Amino acid sequence: MNIAEEPVVLRVTNVTKSYAGVTALANASFDLRAGEVHALVGENGAGKSTLIKILTAAVEYDGGEIALNGAALPRLTPRQARTLGIAAIYQQPALFDQLTVAENIALGTENAGPLSRINWRQRRERAVELLARVGAHIDPDSDVCDLGMAQQQLVEIARALGANARILILDEPTASLSKDDADNLLRVVRELRADGVAMIYISHRLEELFHIANRVTVLRDGCTIATLDMCDVSRNQLIRLMVGRELTSVFPKRVVPLGAPVLELQHVGCRASGVSDVSFSVRAGEIVGLSGLVGAGRTELARIIFGLTPADEGQIAVNGAKVRILSPTSAIAHGIAYVPEDRRRHGVVLQMSVTENISLAALRELARNGSLDVNREHDIAVEYSRRLGVRTASLRSLVATLSGGNQQKVALGRWLVTKPKLLVLDEPTQGIDVGAKSEIHSLMMDLAEQGMAILMISSELPEILGMSDRIVVMHDGTVADVLDRSEATQERLLARALQRETREFTSFFAAANER
Amino acid sequence: MSALLSRMSRRHAREAPPTAALGIVLIAMGVVAPSFFSAGNLRDLALNNVAVMIVALGMTLVVLTGEIDISVGSQFAVCSVAAGMLAKAGVPIMLVPVFVLALGVLMGALNGLLIGMLGLPSIIVTLAMMVAWRDTLRWTTDGAWIQDLPANFQWFGMSPEAAQLMIMAVGVALATSGAWALRHLALGRRVYAVGADAEAARLAGIDPRMVKFGVFATTGMLVSIGAMLNAVRFSTVPSNAGIGFELQAVAAVVVGGTAITGGRGTILGTVIGVALLGAIGTALTYVGIGPFWVKAIQGLIILAALGGDALFTRLARRAHLPARAVVAH
Amino acid sequence: MQLSLTEARLPLRVRLFPNKEWVLLIVIVAEVVVYGITGTNFATLGNAFEITRLSVEIGLLALALTPVIVSGGIDLSIGSMMGLSAVAFGYFWRDAGLPIPVAIVFTLMIGMAGGALNAVFITRFKFPPLIVTLGTLSLYRGIAEGVTGGVQHYSGFPAGFLHLGQGYIGGHVPTQLVVLALVALWSAWSLHRTGAGRALYAIGHSAEGARYAGIPVARRLATVYVLSGAAASLAALVYVAHLGQAKSDAGTGYELMAITAVVLGGASIFGGRGTILGTLLGLFSIVLLQNGLRLTGQPAELSGILVGVLLIGTILVDVFTQHAATRAAPSPTATEQPDVRNSQVAVLSAVILLGALIVAASNWVLVNSLRHDLRGGPSMTAASPGATATHRTLIAMMPKAKGDPYFISAHKGADSAAAALGVDLLWDGPTDLDAAKQNEVVEAWITRGVNAIAVSVENREAISTVLRKARERGIKVVTWDADAEANARDFFVNQATPEGIGNTLTDEAARIMGGSGELAIITASLSAANQNEWITFIKLRLAAKYPRITLVAIQPSDGDRDRAFAETQTVLKVHPKVKVVMAIAAPAVPGAAEAVKQSGRKDVKVTGLSLPNMCRPYIKSGEIESIVLWNTMDLGALTVRVAQALASGELGAGASTLDAGRMGSFQVVGSEVRLGLPFIFNRTNIDRFNF
Repeated sequence: MNIAEEPVVLRVTNVTKSYAGVTALANASFDLRAGEVHALVGENGAGKSTLIKILTAAVEYDGGEIALNGAALPRLTPRQARTLGIAAIYQQPALFDQLTVAENIALGTENAGPLSRINWRQRRERAVELLARVGAHIDPDSDVCDLGMAQQQLVEIARALGANARILILDEPTASLSKDDADNLLRVVRELRADGVAMIYISHRLEELFHIANRVTVLRDGCTIATLDMCDVSRNQLIRLMVGRELTSVFPKRVVPLGAPVLELQHVGCRASGVSDVSFSVRAGEIVGLSGLVGAGRTELARIIFGLTPADEGQIAVNGAKVRILSPTSAIAHGIAYVPEDRRRHGVVLQMSVTENISLAALRELARNGSLDVNREHDIAVEYSRRLGVRTASLRSLVATLSGGNQQKVALGRWLVTKPKLLVLDEPTQGIDVGAKSEIHSLMMDLAEQGMAILMISSELPEILGMSDRIVVMHDGTVADVLDRSEATQERLLARALQRETREFTSFFAAANER
Repeated sequence: MSALLSRMSRRHAREAPPTAALGIVLIAMGVVAPSFFSAGNLRDLALNNVAVMIVALGMTLVVLTGEIDISVGSQFAVCSVAAGMLAKAGVPIMLVPVFVLALGVLMGALNGLLIGMLGLPSIIVTLAMMVAWRDTLRWTTDGAWIQDLPANFQWFGMSPEAAQLMIMAVGVALATSGAWALRHLALGRRVYAVGADAEAARLAGIDPRMVKFGVFATTGMLVSIGAMLNAVRFSTVPSNAGIGFELQAVAAVVVGGTAITGGRGTILGTVIGVALLGAIGTALTYVGIGPFWVKAIQGLIILAALGGDALFTRLARRAHLPARAVVAH
Repeated sequence: MQLSLTEARLPLRVRLFPNKEWVLLIVIVAEVVVYGITGTNFATLGNAFEITRLSVEIGLLALALTPVIVSGGIDLSIGSMMGLSAVAFGYFWRDAGLPIPVAIVFTLMIGMAGGALNAVFITRFKFPPLIVTLGTLSLYRGIAEGVTGGVQHYSGFPAGFLHLGQGYIGGHVPTQLVVLALVALWSAWSLHRTGAGRALYAIGHSAEGARYAGIPVARRLATVYVLSGAAASLAALVYVAHLGQAKSDAGTGYELMAITAVVLGGASIFGGRGTILGTLLGLFSIVLLQNGLRLTGQPAELSGILVGVLLIGTILVDVFTQHAATRAAPSPTATEQPDVRNSQVAVLSAVILLGALIVAASNWVLVNSLRHDLRGGPSMTAASPGATATHRTLIAMMPKAKGDPYFISAHKGADSAAAALGVDLLWDGPTDLDAAKQNEVVEAWITRGVNAIAVSVENREAISTVLRKARERGIKVVTWDADAEANARDFFVNQATPEGIGNTLTDEAARIMGGSGELAIITASLSAANQNEWITFIKLRLAAKYPRITLVAIQPSDGDRDRAFAETQTVLKVHPKVKVVMAIAAPAVPGAAEAVKQSGRKDVKVTGLSLPNMCRPYIKSGEIESIVLWNTMDLGALTVRVAQALASGELGAGASTLDAGRMGSFQVVGSEVRLGLPFIFNRTNIDRFNF
C-alpha cells in the first residue's frame, strides 16, 4: 500500500491559536491520509496538545483552516467532532470510573437523543464485539475502576471504534503501559491501519514510531518544522529537528566511587500490594535501576520503602541499622525521599506556589519555636530552584502554571531540601521534554557524585541502561534478576522481566503479538 | 440466569444495607406491634412521607451529579404558600398546579443557572438560596397562614379517598418513572456520566452544564409537585412549611446508598431510605419509646448506613480482585 | 524567563487578603457608612462592642471551621455539639456537683470526644465529612434531647461564671470578646504560621499529594475535627454564660451561619483556600448587616436576602477572577496582571453596585411604607399633622417568634393601639424561638435608644440581665405574655399564669372527657420552655383532681402543622382509646383536628391552646370542642398602652387600675397588669372573634 496515493482525510493548514495573548500554535500544517499512522513529535510545549484539542473541538482555533475529506470544517462542538469520526485516546484514559465497561463504550457510541431508550442487551453485545476487535477479554459488566490502565485504554479504543472513528488520535498511549501491554496496543494500531483508519500518533518513545508510523510531522514552538516519511529519517535527525540542536550525549553517565550500603532489603514483602521476597541493596553514590513491566511491583516496592504501604515481612536496613518504616514520616526521618510517578497528583501540589511546594516536605525543619520561618523558606526556595534550574515567572507562581519538566524539578527540589541519603525516583523523566530530561539526568549524576544513593524506576530501557550502575529486574512482585551495568542489554532486561528465554526476542517490538 | 442474578446483585449492592435495616425494623414491628401494619397506618405513613420522597427523588438526581441542593426546604415553603395564594386569588384549582410547577421550575432553574452555567459551588449557592427564599417568604407573609381557601382546595375538590389514592399514585408514578428514566433513557445515563466524571462526559459529547442545569430545574419541579400534593391534604397553608426538608432528603438519599461524590446510586435506594427514616419515628411511638431519642437513632442510622456501605465496598473489592488480574493475559 | 530570585515580598494587600477578602472590607465600610447615617446610634463605641459580643459564639465556630474547610472538609455537627456540650456542662456542674473549672474541662473533653468520633469516621473509614457530620448533627442533638428528655435545663450558675458571657473587662470590653480575640490570634498563628497549618492547605488542595510529601494527613485531619469539637464546646460555655441557662437546643442552626461566615470570608468549599482574617471579616460583615438593619428599623428578613446575595456575589467575583487568571496563564511566561485587574474591577463594581441598589431599594421601600403609615393612620392625620417623628414616643415590642400566628395577632392589636395612642411602634424579634436572638434584639434597642421595651420572654434567666441593663439606661421595660425576673422589668402584662393555663386546659379536657379516659398531648418542640411548664401543671392538676384520666402520650410537633397532623394520626392508632387530644401549640391544634377529621373518628375531640381564626372551621365542624386562649389582640394593645403609660409617667408603682380607652379598665396588682382570665372559645362564641 502506498500511502501517498491514499486520499487525504484531514488537512490542517496554517492553524493558529493563542491563549490570552500567549501563542500556543503559530503555524501548524499537516495532512493525514486514510490508512496511515502519522506521528506527531515535538518537545513539550511545542503545541501538540493544543493541536489535539483543536481537532477534537475541545478548544476553538483562532485562524487557519481545517478540512475534513476536502471540505472546510466549521466550528464544532466535541460531540460534532465525534460524530464526524474524530476520536482521541489520551495517556490518562478519560473513562467513567464508576460506570461499567459496556456503558462506557455505549456513552461514546450511541448518538441517540436524550429521550431515546437504552437497550442494555444490545449494549452488552456490542461491547463484547468491539472489545474482541481490540483483542481484549474484559467482562463488559465490570466497573472501569476495577480495570488496569492498559485495559482502560483498550476500552477507550473500543469505544472510539464503536463510534466509527475514521480518525484516531493517540496521545502518548504507551507512556504508562508495560512492554507487553504496549506491544498489544501497537498490534491493535496496525490492525486498525489495515482497516483504513487514519491515526495521529504522539509519543516520546521515538523507537515506537519507527515501527508503526508511516510519516512524521515535527512541531517546534507551535510551527510545523517538517513532514517526512518515517523511512527517510533517523532517530538523531528527529531529535535534532525537535530541539533544533544535536544532543551530544544523551546520558551523562560518569563513574562514581561507591560507598557503604545505604538501603538493604532482605526478603521484604507486603501482601496487600503483592510484593514478596525482595532482596537487594543500594550503596552511597550508586544508581540502581529498577526495571520490569508495569504491574511487576516496582512502584509498589517504592511505596513500601517510603512507608506508604508498610512492609509486613522481611527486613529493611538503612545505613546498616534495622528500621521499621511505617509511614512517610518515619521514612523521611531515616533519610529516604521518594519522587512519585504521577507527578501532577502526587509529586507536586498543583495549586500551591513553587516556594510552598519546595518547602512542603521540610516544614518541620523550617519551624522556629513552633513558627514557620518564612524568610528561611524563601531562601531555600531560591537556592533549590536555582540549583535545579526551575524556569518560572516567579517563585509565587502556582506549580500548575509550570511545564511538566519544571514541575518535575520542583518535585525533586522538595526532596533535596530534606537532604536525603536515599532518593527513590519513580519514572523521573516520563512525559517530559528532551531538554529537561537530560537536565534531570545530569542532576542525578551530580547527586550520586555527592554520595547519594539513588533507586530509579523506569520503563524506558535506554534510560535504565544509560544511567544505572546496577539493574534490578522485577517480575510478578519479586526480584527476577540483578544485573551489572556491563552485562545488561535491552534484550536481556526484557527477557528477565518477562521470564522467558532471550532468543525469543529477535527484535524490540515485533514478538509479543502472539499470546 | 446466574449471570443475570450476579449482575443484578452487583448493580443493587449499595441498596443492601438500608434494605436490611428496613427489614429489621419491619420484622421487629411485626413481632412487637403487629398493628403497625394496619392498612390505615401504612396509608398514613405513605401520605405523610410522599412529599419528602418526591423531594428526595430530586435530591437523588442532584447528588448523582455530584452536587447538593439544600434550598429544597425553602423552595417547598415558597411553593406551598404560592399554591395557597393562587387558590385564594381565585385561580381555578386545576390551574394552580400549573403555576406552582412553573414557579418550582423557575427556582430550580435559578440554582441550575448559577451552578450549572456559571460553575459556582452548589453547597454555597443553595445555602444562599435557602436563607434568601425563607426570609423572602417571612417578609412577604409576615408569618401569616393562608386561610379561608376555596372549599375545593382541599383534595382538589375530589373525595378524600380518591385524592389520597391520586397523591400516592403520583408518588409511585414519579418514583417508578424516575427510576426507569435513570436506567433506561439516555438522559438518565447522562446524569450518571456527569456525576462519575464531568470532564470525561464533556469529551463524550455530553454537556455537563446542561445536565446540571436540568437536574436542578427538575428538582425544583419535583419540589413544587411535592409541595402541591402536601398542601391539598389540608384546608389551610402554613407559611413555615418544609423546615428541615433539605436534611431529611439528603439523609434519605445517603442512607439509600447514593454516593455523595456522585455517579452511583439509585431511586430504589432513595425510596428505601425515605421509608426507613420515615418509619422509624412512628415505629418508636408504636413500641412505646418516647420521641426524645428519634433524632439520635436517625443519626445512628446514617452513620450505620455509611459503615455498612464501607464494609460492602471492601467485601466487593476483595471478591473482585482475581477478576481484575485475569483479564489482561 | 529566568526568574528574579531575590524578588521582594508580596504587597501587603496580597499577603493579607490572598483571596480578595478586601471586597468584604469594602462591604463592611459601606455598611458602616450607610447604617451610620441612617441608623440610630449605630456608629458608637458601645454598639461596636455589643456587636462583637453577639458574634462570639458563631465566631468561635467559624474560626474552628476555617481550618476544617481549608483542609477540604466540613463539620455540620458543631451546632449540635453546642447543644450537647451545654447540657453536659449543666450536668457536670449541677448534677455531678463538680466545681466550675472542672466542669469546664470535662465539657471541653466532651467536645473533643465528639470531634474525635467525626475524625475516626473521616480519617479511618474515609467517609465524606459532609455525610459523617450530617449523621452526628442528628446524633449529638438527639443525645442532648434524649438525656434531658428535652425538658430538663440547667440554670442558676454562679456569677463568676456568668461574667464570662455577661460581664465586661475594663468596663467596656465584653469578656467573651477577649476569648474570641485569643482564639482568633491562636488560630491565625497556627493556620498561617506553623507547619501544621501549611500542611492543611496542602491537604485541602490534594490530600494524596500531601501524603506523598510525608505529611501525616490522617493525624492533621483528626486534629482539626477534634479542635472543632472543642471550639463548639467553648462556644457552648460562652453561650451558657451569656444566657445563664443550659438547654439541649443551644446552637441550633449555628452551623449554617458559621459556614456562611467562613465562605463569605473567601474560603473555598473545595479546600486549600481561606484565612482567619477573611473569616473574621465575613463574620463581621454579616453581624454588622443584621445589627444595622435592626438599628435602622428595617425588617430583619432583609438580612437573609442580603446575605444570600452577598454570598453569591462574592463567589461570583471569585470565579470570574479565577477564570480570568487561568485563561491568561496557560504558560509560565504569561504576564496576565492587567487583564485580570480590569475584569476583576468590573465584576466587583457590579456586585457592589448591586448591593448598594438593594440597600437603597430597601430604604426606599421602608421610607415609603413609613410615610404611608404616618399619613394613612387615621388618628395621626387628624391629631397632629405637623408633629415630627422625633418627638414621638418609640416603643419597641418583641414577640417570642415573629412568624407565630399567636404573635401575629398580638402585633395587629399592638399596631392599632399605637396608632390610637400616637406612639411609634417598633416590632422585631427572632423568626423562630431563639433566646439568644432575643438578647441580641434588646441590645440593639438599647443602643438605638427607645423609650420603652416590651418583651415576650422566651428564657427568663437569659433575658433578665439585658433587661436590667436597659432599665439602667432609663428605658422603661415591660414584659408581656411571659415574664422575666421581677427586678428586670417595671411591669408585667399578665394574660394568664402557667398554672392558670394548665388548670384551665386540664379542666376543659376533663369536662369533654367526662372525667375519665385517656388523654394525649401534642406539644411544640420537646425543649419548648413554656409548653414544658404547662405540661408540668397539667400533670399536677390531673393527679390532684382527675385520677381517672391517664395521660398516655406527649408527642412533639416542632411548631409544624404537618408534623402535628402525622403525630396525631399515629397517637390515635397506637392509643385507640384516647378521647381527647390536647394540642398546646397554636399550629398544632388545626393539625391535630385535621388528623381527627381524616380518621373519621367522631368520638375523639381536640382541645388546646390556639387562635380562633385558625381553628374556626374545625370548631364549626365539631372536631375541635373548644380552644383556650385570651384575646391576643387585646394583649398586644394593652401591652402598648402599659408601655406608653410608663414612658409618659402616667403609670407608676402603686397604681391599682389602668384605663385603656376602648378596652376599658384593667386591674393592676403589684407590678402586674391583669388582662383577665383565659377565655374558652367554642361553637357558640367563636364568630365574635377575628384574630
